[in-house]
Amino acid sequence: MKIDDALISKLERLSRLELAVEERAQIKVDLNNILQMVDTLEELNTDDVEPLIYMNEEHKAPREDIISNELPHEAAIANAPVSSESGHFLVPKVMDK
Amino acid sequence: MSKSDYEIIIGLEVHVQLNTKTKIFCGDQNSFGELANRHTSSISLAHPGTLPRVNREAINKGIALALALGSEINQENRFDRKHYFYPDLPKAYQITQDRLPICVGGSIDIPSGDTTRTIRFHHTHMEEDAGKSIHDLDPKNSMIDLNRAGTPLLEIVTEPDMRSAQEVHDFIATLQQLVRYIGISDANMEEGSMRCDCNVSVRLKGDTQLNNRCEVKNINSKKFAMQAVAYEAQRQIKLMEQGEHIDQQTLHFDSETGRTSSTRDKEDAHDYRYFPDPDLPPVYITDEEIAQIKEQMPILPQAQKQLYIEQDIKAEHAELLIQERATVTFTNELLQAHQDSSAAVNFMINKVLPTTKEDYHDDLTTFPLTVAQCAAFLKLIDAGKIIHSTAYQQLYPALLADPTADPAALCESMGLSQSNDTDLIDDLIQAVIQENPDEVKKYQKGKKGLIGFFVGKVMKESKGKADPKLIQQKLTEALQS
Repeated sequence: MKIDDALISKLERLSRLELAVEERAQIKVDLNNILQMVDTLEELNTDDVEPLIYMNEEHKAPREDIISNELPHEAAIANAPVSSESGHFLVPKVMDK
Repeated sequence: MSKSDYEIIIGLEVHVQLNTKTKIFCGDQNSFGELANRHTSSISLAHPGTLPRVNREAINKGIALALALGSEINQENRFDRKHYFYPDLPKAYQITQDRLPICVGGSIDIPSGDTTRTIRFHHTHMEEDAGKSIHDLDPKNSMIDLNRAGTPLLEIVTEPDMRSAQEVHDFIATLQQLVRYIGISDANMEEGSMRCDCNVSVRLKGDTQLNNRCEVKNINSKKFAMQAVAYEAQRQIKLMEQGEHIDQQTLHFDSETGRTSSTRDKEDAHDYRYFPDPDLPPVYITDEEIAQIKEQMPILPQAQKQLYIEQDIKAEHAELLIQERATVTFTNELLQAHQDSSAAVNFMINKVLPTTKEDYHDDLTTFPLTVAQCAAFLKLIDAGKIIHSTAYQQLYPALLADPTADPAALCESMGLSQSNDTDLIDDLIQAVIQENPDEVKKYQKGKKGLIGFFVGKVMKESKGKADPKLIQQKLTEALQS
């Protein structure tokens, strides 16, 4: 996979980030390193290997429909940088109403 | 070319919120209309290190829907992550089913004039709802309430089988009735527990290729769905007439103007990067589980309608009776308790349902009279203890006002019992004849329709206690002499 400017721009859009010119250069290096590391896997033949998705299929019984583990309201919003008196989390205005 | 040369093609994606007690992947209470952020947990708030677990009841309700729609059930269910950024989606991905949806295929019939039309389903998948954003209360911020985050949803996707705005309306109404019937959702469009996206395209009649479609998002009423489809089809036909290209796009419907407009989403913003959610192992549905749910399924509305028709109930009455499951339950119990089915159906349609609609928010479960009381009421009429019209006009409202009363005792204490005291009736007839000499003359000169007038007068004088048939018979004799 080629890490080029077009790909960096796409990743920027997808992750809602704006990178400075120097940051773009750095991230190209980082991404290439990551891909190289993963490329090590290419040395192995995985043609007959099923993709491993689930590390643990043991606990697969569904949960019963019983109310549990709710957080008290104060605890739920305690870590919010800003919240309203009505108990809402406040975030910068999202324009596309 | 004229408008009638075009064919409108519509497919829907309907989101139905399930009425489970808790959310789909965690134990937060699933409820509507509470204060903001009162039903959240470390899972719905996406705190690091938390693990989702599927709610069994959400799966069961998915199975119930599959059975009702005649869909195939995928017995191996997997969940996928759909990635996008929005403040009301704390994990920055929505858990959904991208590759193995719980239901595949199926269809329902919708009324279409005198016949029915079959609308097929592509599939139905399970997913979680996002939180709720409010953009117009605070001038500087958007406000986020995560009570809804994680509410179980079934997204029901149809084939592009609808051909008019009216069909869209009728399809939504039929589906809404069905999901209420099988008890999986209250499907209240105003409160957002049922919402839909409409995919609309147009083509010249006779064409077999589908043109580009536009998706009108997040419509929350049947009326708006009709308006949105009609407007959108019109817009596309106009573009085609002008020889212009129709861009595939996502649209917003403004219910105030009745128009659709572009949401200006960049297409690559829809790169959702689906992948299997490694936190949620597959859920296997066994044949036994399916059989168990099948056993608990009610008779579906159309099948119930057929049963009613076989019991000699008129089709239009049967249609009214199958609208809600509570009505069917009540009607069936009443039919058990009172053998004269036409009297029971008549009472349901002319009294119970209108009263429920007017005074009990159209919710029969809050109707104050029991089936036993209604049967006792009907029995009084059947046994000739009270005149039909008197029972309907006087005893019935009195019963509603005093719902614990025994109908027979109340009839007695109100003095409404039928009296065929012929001497009294004769006296009343004589009095009415004497008080209305002009009408008597007219009647005797041939205006026979006036008999109703005289019967009414005598009935009134008898305080509704005398049998109108007997009165008419005696009146006819008296007026001839």
